Amino acid sequence: MISFELTQEQKLAQSMVQELASSQLRPAARSADDREAMPSSILDEIWATGIIQSQSDADGYSPTLNALLLEELAVADASFAIAAAAPIGFLGAIAAQGSSAQKKNLLPIFAGDKYRCAGVAIMEPDFAFDVSAIRSTAIKKRDGYLLSGMKGLIPLAGSCSHFLVVARCGDTLDAFIVERNARGVSVGEKKPNIGLRALEMATVSFKDVELPASARLGESAGCDVQRIIDSARTALSAIMTGTARAVMEFVMPYTKERVVHGDALAKKQTIAFRLADMRIETDAMRWMTWKAASILEQGGDATRQAQLAYTYCTENAMWIADEGVQMLGGHGYLRDNPVEMWYRDTRTVSVLEGAVGV
Amino acid sequence: MIDFQLTSTDENVLSSAHEQAIIGRRYARYYDKHEDELEPAEFPEAKDLPNPVTLAEEGLSGSSGSRILHSLVMLEIYWGGISLHRSKWGLGNTVLKTVATPEQFEKWKNHTIAIAITEPGAGSDPASIRTTATFDRETGEWILNGEKIFISQAQSGDAAMVLSRFIAPDGSRGMTTFLVEKGTPGFTVGPQLKKLGIRSHDTCNLLFENCRIPEFNHIKGDFKSTMSVFNDSRPMVGAMALGVARAALDFTREKLGERGIEIGYRGGMRSRSAIVDRFIRLEAIYEAALLTVLRSKWLEQQDVPPKVEASIAKAAGGKAARRITQGCIDLLGPEALSEDHPLDRCFRDGRIFDIYEGAGEIQRLIIARSILGYTGRDLR
Ligand SMILES: Cc1cc2nc3c(=O)[nH]c(=O)nc-3n(C[C@H](O)[C@H](O)[C@H](O)COP(=O)(O)OP(=O)(O)OC[C@H]3O[C@@H](n4cnc5c(N)ncnc54)[C@H](O)[C@@H]3O)c2cc1C
Repeated sequence: MISFELTQEQKLAQSMVQELASSQLRPAARSADDREAMPSSILDEIWATGIIQSQSDADGYSPTLNALLLEELAVADASFAIAAAAPIGFLGAIAAQGSSAQKKNLLPIFAGDKYRCAGVAIMEPDFAFDVSAIRSTAIKKRDGYLLSGMKGLIPLAGSCSHFLVVARCGDTLDAFIVERNARGVSVGEKKPNIGLRALEMATVSFKDVELPASARLGESAGCDVQRIIDSARTALSAIMTGTARAVMEFVMPYTKERVVHGDALAKKQTIAFRLADMRIETDAMRWMTWKAASILEQGGDATRQAQLAYTYCTENAMWIADEGVQMLGGHGYLRDNPVEMWYRDTRTVSVLEGAVGV
Repeated sequence: MIDFQLTSTDENVLSSAHEQAIIGRRYARYYDKHEDELEPAEFPEAKDLPNPVTLAEEGLSGSSGSRILHSLVMLEIYWGGISLHRSKWGLGNTVLKTVATPEQFEKWKNHTIAIAITEPGAGSDPASIRTTATFDRETGEWILNGEKIFISQAQSGDAAMVLSRFIAPDGSRGMTTFLVEKGTPGFTVGPQLKKLGIRSHDTCNLLFENCRIPEFNHIKGDFKSTMSVFNDSRPMVGAMALGVARAALDFTREKLGERGIEIGYRGGMRSRSAIVDRFIRLEAIYEAALLTVLRSKWLEQQDVPPKVEASIAKAAGGKAARRITQGCIDLLGPEALSEDHPLDRCFRDGRIFDIYEGAGEIQRLIIARSILGYTGRDLR
């Protein structure tokens, strides 16, 4: 039954995260970007909301709720939202597709009261990378696998305890749970990118890493890697919706106050109409994201919807961030205002694949 | 709970609507070519088929709601291009329903009533209409003079709800509505207008020359109540636009498939051809706009009168139909231009939705004023 109704529980969680986002996260965003470092106090605040750990709980797993909350976090800051969405992606994949032994071994590790990171490693440091052309390989051995490859843009790579590595195994893609301390795993230096600079993203190399058979997600049953990708696309869509909303909510009061040629900038149609379009598109982005998330939640095939949501959001989030800078003119180009940061962050989020989940 | 799945009741109604749309589509070219001919009130094939609009409006239990279902039925009908059941409802009926006295409503409830607002000098800005009614004390009648243009259901309808200025006997002035029945002396309906597309859509100009109207026909809708009929209809126009857009997408997907080009959603943009990528982007525009329509209709069902959401749905649907029908022709190339195929009609038909019932710019004015807290004076 078609419905946009939030449950009472979803509304409560949403307003709790909204409150955290505006009081704690937004004020910390700029300095985290400048310092290219993720403040651990912020991670603990996010952890304390329980949104990451709830993936472990069979009744708590809800891609729709995750999408709602990631949007709110991203209104404050996209790096912080991804710091939540990365372990959500990891835990969500284990919870949805792991064997019972994998769930039993891994999920409790993430039940403590301090932030803990683990990453979904899909992207590779390679020009023209595409999820359908993954080059990392896992070679089946008698009692396990031999994993080789490079994975790039892993959020908070240096502090991840585990990676879920997607690699080609024969003709198909598979996902492998790899401990950070396993022999052959080395985490590179954190490398600043255009945006999401607080996220401490790095490349991780896997050199002939020997994995037991139990490392394969789902063990003998294997897993549906496409579902991990669909989930990532949905999470990225939620985050792009949040960033777009941040821009829109910032430029509306700004253009109303800014007087140019004797009148408020927002009273000029060319500005007002673009603001109207921002509203149209952020609404549409959100509903696209919700739809993909709700299909995932119901266990349906979300591939088409996740692709459409992701494609729509990448295009429109970038347009909105771009217009946000434009509407502030020179002020928008200076780092005194957040729009230049959102412009960089949006360029970064909107080209990612994998890395996160709902 | 957030959910986007159709119920089985929805699916039943929509599959019946779709089957009828497939029949309707067979007539689409004929009426495109014969624009002076009105479609029959009911096509022979429709005799034993239920009108899906009626089914939707009945608010069947187990459906996603009558408003949502109605909009999805309209989408199906516009997918086919011709409705097997002619609508008996005009926007003038909505004015009648909302402002008429019970006696007036009783008299005309079974009439099809067009809405007549637009004039040569007043389209997007209906406040500048010139049509005027003066009161004749001797006969107790109103005398109407003016011209209305581009009026839907002008020929097929039984009457028109005319927005007019008035000068009352006491000299007071304002705007009001009169119900003018067909056949009233001084009221003439012009010939069918020649249009780019939706050629089967009955559209004529109306002329009122010293047209005498009994006081009983004074419906007393004011400017605001007349314009508010568009709140319900805007998302509906969005849905209609998306029907045409989906017809274009469906045809394009089918023909690309026949040439071995399948639309795959698994990989990323660097793994697909420009054609597949463009298709996916167009399809995303369709999906996005459809969800804004559903959102607006869902709000109506929650008794939250949508305002900005209704305009969002209209603007999104109108733009989607333009971009998609233009883009599909790029994807299929020059062969798509031919009248042997439906895209030429989708391209022409699909252009109306961002124009009538408040063009895209007008929707953006409404949205911008609302989100910025501006009045019509601040932003016009
Ligand atoms: C097939 C068809 C059926 C119709 N049916 C009906 C009907 O049943 N009843 C009825 O009353 N009318 C009907 N109309 C009329 C329709 O509603 C008007 O054509 C429409 O509102 C636009 O008015 P206009 O044509 O005078 O264009 P204009 O008002 O001249 O507008 C021209 C352009 O300028 C833009 N524009 C206008 N004002 C502004 C502004 N303030 N800021 C920025 N841009 C602006 C418009 O968006 C448009 O793009 C119909 C029209 C057609 C084509």
